[in-house]
Amino acid sequence: MRSLAFRLAALSALWLALGLGAAGWFVTETMRRSVEQAFDARLGALLDAAVAGAGFQEDGAPAMLRPPALAELDQPFSGAYWQLTGPDGRIATSRSLWDQRLAEAEATEGVSLSTMPGPRGSVLGVAARRVVPAGADRPLVVAAALDRGPMEAEAARVGRIVATLFAALGAGLAAALALQLLVGLSPLRRARRALALVREGRAERLGIDAPSEIAPLVAEIDALIAQNRATVERARAHLGNLAHALKTPVAVLRNALDAPSPDLAAARAEVGRLGHLVQHHLARARAAGASGLAAPGPVPLRAAAEEIAAALRRLFAGRGLSVTVEGSEALRARIDRQDLAECLGNLMENACTWARARVAVTCARSGEGMVCVTVEDDGPGLSPEDAAAATRRGVRLDEAAPGSGLGLAIVADLAALHGGALALGRSPLGGLAARLTLPGG
Amino acid sequence: MRVLVVEDNQALADQLATALAEAHFAVDRAADGEEALHLGDTEPYDAVVLDLGLPRLDGLSVLRHWREAGRAMPVLILTARDGWTEKVAGLDAGADDYLAKPFAMGELVARLNALIRRAHGHARPEIVAGPLRIDTAAARVTLAGQPVRLTALEFRLLAFLGHRIGEVVSKTELTEHLYAQDFDRDSNTLEVIVGRLRRKLGEGVIETVRGQGYRLAAGG
Repeated sequence: MRSLAFRLAALSALWLALGLGAAGWFVTETMRRSVEQAFDARLGALLDAAVAGAGFQEDGAPAMLRPPALAELDQPFSGAYWQLTGPDGRIATSRSLWDQRLAEAEATEGVSLSTMPGPRGSVLGVAARRVVPAGADRPLVVAAALDRGPMEAEAARVGRIVATLFAALGAGLAAALALQLLVGLSPLRRARRALALVREGRAERLGIDAPSEIAPLVAEIDALIAQNRATVERARAHLGNLAHALKTPVAVLRNALDAPSPDLAAARAEVGRLGHLVQHHLARARAAGASGLAAPGPVPLRAAAEEIAAALRRLFAGRGLSVTVEGSEALRARIDRQDLAECLGNLMENACTWARARVAVTCARSGEGMVCVTVEDDGPGLSPEDAAAATRRGVRLDEAAPGSGLGLAIVADLAALHGGALALGRSPLGGLAARLTLPGG
Repeated sequence: MRVLVVEDNQALADQLATALAEAHFAVDRAADGEEALHLGDTEPYDAVVLDLGLPRLDGLSVLRHWREAGRAMPVLILTARDGWTEKVAGLDAGADDYLAKPFAMGELVARLNALIRRAHGHARPEIVAGPLRIDTAAARVTLAGQPVRLTALEFRLLAFLGHRIGEVVSKTELTEHLYAQDFDRDSNTLEVIVGRLRRKLGEGVIETVRGQGYRLAAGG
């Protein structure tokens, strides 16, 4: 049932079978009825002729005074018969009946029709009528009979012809349908082949001329391929930048160490620079990677903050800090899960590092379709100039404090990347209030 | 103080062992997860430095196993991946601190000292017993303001007694925390070290509790 072609074919075949069956049945029945009507008409005509010719002899026996003009009535067992039955039970028959008699039929003033076995295993259609012949004073039962065999054979022949015709029609329609599916779905097969070529690296894009139903899909796939290629190009360029950026410090380092009296201070400084470069490029790699991806799903904000808080309580177990998280469980942010962890981790660890006793994290709604997390501490806080400097990459406010000095700048970058922002201010608790705003989900 | 260093990079493991030995730690080493698991299960370490990317069994699994088995020694995680997702996973598994590579050796020693102090319930790096002051962070000892020169083994013994100040520590426990696995103990028996310490610090500093062990008196 997974195949599109199979579904289309199955549905059409079902309708085709139902429709053709019903039409065939209707046509067959109609033909059969007309054949039977013709038979009944012949039977009626024979009865009328027999009634018109029937009468009594002088001795009172029934007799056919003017026989119907039908040659078969004189040939034995020809299939056409008549029989007259008098009120006293005496009987006269056509020569064709020979020594046989028609079974006594219920006869009334009107015509009564019945089917009954006839001579030599035939089946007869019988019409009978009780009449008083012209010039007579007694009633007489006149019966006329015709062999149904030829009529049945004719009806069966018609039925066979109709069935054959309809079967041929059905087969033709099925073939047309199969052809249609084959032709109709061929753009999909072409798209698949083109995609395989792209994957094998033998084509740059699908670039096929597809019908309007499939063209948007082809365009989307081409766009996706282009985007992937751009991402890979960016990554390659970034890797190249990193390698080049590392070359100089490595050269300086080698020279410093190769000298007759190694310049350890210079070497140490270069190692510090190398460390910074790695940090910087790691952060950029994350950002570059994220920008090439599909839109991230909404992440529960408070749960993410609780997770970080639990880790930080363990990390700062010796300090007896109170780390609280508040806000609605229902708030969600449209940001990559790892990026959110990175933002919250940096902000909350920073707060824990500087706090005297308290770190408070609050999740809330923030304006039209936005959510925000505010991380506050009761530490010394930042002056407005320091706050502005802190969000610029690579600036380290206090060399003695742990951390690379990139934390707040990375958060600001990640927030901007996801359509949010980071704002630093003063908290009512006394220390820094870092407010991270993100698109809500 | 005896620590286990679990690191599969030979060069980094050597540097770690050297730096920790200089800071007066007895150091055992494991180069893969299974060896680390076994050592941590059987030896009484005061702290563990655990790399996460290990052959045979990864560091997080080792840590989880230890914590499930009730081993509570402080564990400091070393990792090249310093994303917060990884940090949270490590701390959730039962780590007490983490350090991202590359790191400065001094910071590692300081963090390790802080962890051991925290595990013994001391908030400050300095232990005071009368005129005797033991600075566990700087590995310095002063007696009435005068610096005292101690060997690594002597300092280790004094610091261990200092962390448990006022308590009697059995000889077995002291021995277990004093020596690395492969250390030749013959010429450095407990009694000899205690004797040397008493000569340097004065007879009354370390008390012998007969049949039970030694004690560093809180009053000196």
